[in-house]
Amino acid sequence: LDPALEEPEGDEEEYRSIRKQYRALIYQVQDQRHDIVNTANESLTEALEEANGLFDGVTRTREAALDAQFLVMAADLGKEKSRQLRSDVSLFNQAAFCDFLFTFVGVSGLEEKHDRLDDGDEGRVRYFWETLQRKAASWTLRAETFHFMLGSFNSEPSVPRPRQRRRRVRSVEEKSAMPKKLKRMDLNNNQETTEREVERILGLLQTYFRMHPNSSVSYFEFVVDPHSFARTVENIFYVSFIIRDGYARISLDQDRLPVLQPVSNNQMGEEYDSGPSGMKQGIISLSLQDWRNIVATFQISKPMITKEY
Amino acid sequence: QKPPPPARGRPGRSAQTPPTRRKVEGPGTPWGPDGAGAGGRPRRRRSQKQLEVKVAELVQFLLIKDQKKMPVKRTELLRHVVGDYKDVFPDLLRLAAQRLEYVFGYRLVELEPKSSTYVLVNTLEPVEEDAEVRGDQGTPGAGLLMIVLGLIFMRGHTIKETEVWDFLRRLGVHPTKRHSVFGDPKKLITEDFVRQRYLEYRRLPHTDPVDYELQWGPRTNLETTKMKVLKFVAKIHNQDPKDWPVQYCEALADEAARARPQPGVPAPSS
Repeated sequence: LDPALEEPEGDEEEYRSIRKQYRALIYQVQDQRHDIVNTANESLTEALEEANGLFDGVTRTREAALDAQFLVMAADLGKEKSRQLRSDVSLFNQAAFCDFLFTFVGVSGLEEKHDRLDDGDEGRVRYFWETLQRKAASWTLRAETFHFMLGSFNSEPSVPRPRQRRRRVRSVEEKSAMPKKLKRMDLNNNQETTEREVERILGLLQTYFRMHPNSSVSYFEFVVDPHSFARTVENIFYVSFIIRDGYARISLDQDRLPVLQPVSNNQMGEEYDSGPSGMKQGIISLSLQDWRNIVATFQISKPMITKEY
Repeated sequence: QKPPPPARGRPGRSAQTPPTRRKVEGPGTPWGPDGAGAGGRPRRRRSQKQLEVKVAELVQFLLIKDQKKMPVKRTELLRHVVGDYKDVFPDLLRLAAQRLEYVFGYRLVELEPKSSTYVLVNTLEPVEEDAEVRGDQGTPGAGLLMIVLGLIFMRGHTIKETEVWDFLRRLGVHPTKRHSVFGDPKKLITEDFVRQRYLEYRRLPHTDPVDYELQWGPRTNLETTKMKVLKFVAKIHNQDPKDWPVQYCEALADEAARARPQPGVPAPSS
């Protein structure tokens, strides 16, 4: 073995001391990291000079490795420091930016600065960010998100997921006369929707009966939605199932206006047992004008059947 | 009846069943006389209508993927939409891009040259005065993004994550607290914006506790410019962009670079 390559025997004490000093230097520089990068002090240069001095005593790889570790760190810090110096030149004040933002968006600054959007009322928070977005949009070429303009027929709000087509078109084996395969029609969905809505409305009705025992509710007040004719018709449709299945009764009160009444448990069985003479049918016709008249006459301001969402 | 041996010079197509009779296209269609695309490569015969449907599906797919602002990979397009029409994919994509531009005013752009990842960019320059009547974009995150981008640029193209939160806290946005509008702001900034390619998020070495740096991502340079961001920041301060000379110079240099003809034009090609 070439004697030049052999690691010289030396003083173990001294080696240990060198390593200890390196580690101390590394620790110290890491500790002062913030000051080194952000202020104009000389500590990085001094640390480098100290490492230089230590390196004179380094003869083995073990200590040299520590020196290398220190150098890497110093180089990174040097890079950051130079970056910091550059941005300081143009004096961008973050705190001022914040204040100007409030003025820019137009939030009235009555309260303490840090209360303005913190735990404040959500309306104001939402207004701030939505207004900011509208103004910021002037400065980008962002494509507007695609939505169907008139919404969908689903009774639930649509799930915010991109709908990906996974159909692989079978382009072969197609005779020109044969129509394309029908997409599976979602008939099931409609039935489920009806059941779900009927159950939900039944729940609302039963809650009402529980809260107002021994009373009946005016049919029109229950089904009519003063804001939407279409929903009123839907409600009538759903309530008709409730009546058909015997969960509620509809009858005319002394003013000959229809009312809904709860059905007691023993009565429920009775309805089903009654023969053909017991089956009654009723037809309700409701025009747009009728609906408006009812809303006015009964002074309905809020729907009793609230929307699901 | 056995399928004919593969004679097309492309490996792996022997699994395909033989094409049946197809309508022969007349001149004047984008598909060429035999349902083939431009280039005259031997193609399966397909009707004009089928190809039209494919283009329409591509357009719709791209629009819906854009809802989440996630870049679309070419492999996704091939797998979910194009399928067997892979051989005419370049033409399909080109036509889809045309349609997006003519009908919607959106440009289909490659995120970075040769990345095979695409995003949609608006071709219509927005008018500042229209700010009031602009619709809600669904996610108000774009406003937050713009501020973060501005912050990054004004601080010299890169900023530490801790500094971003120091700033955002003053606006009521915290990394660990749920936000009524943004939900999880930390996830929005360090994950969602990064995946959408608006931001880059890198770990800083030798930091204890660990810190990260944030920079502009490739998509930002497609949708806006340094000059626009500077002007936006200046407008907020009610000042002139020239009041920040260093940033202004960089923005000017960026404008000059953009005006030069670019190599690797961002057009969807094979």
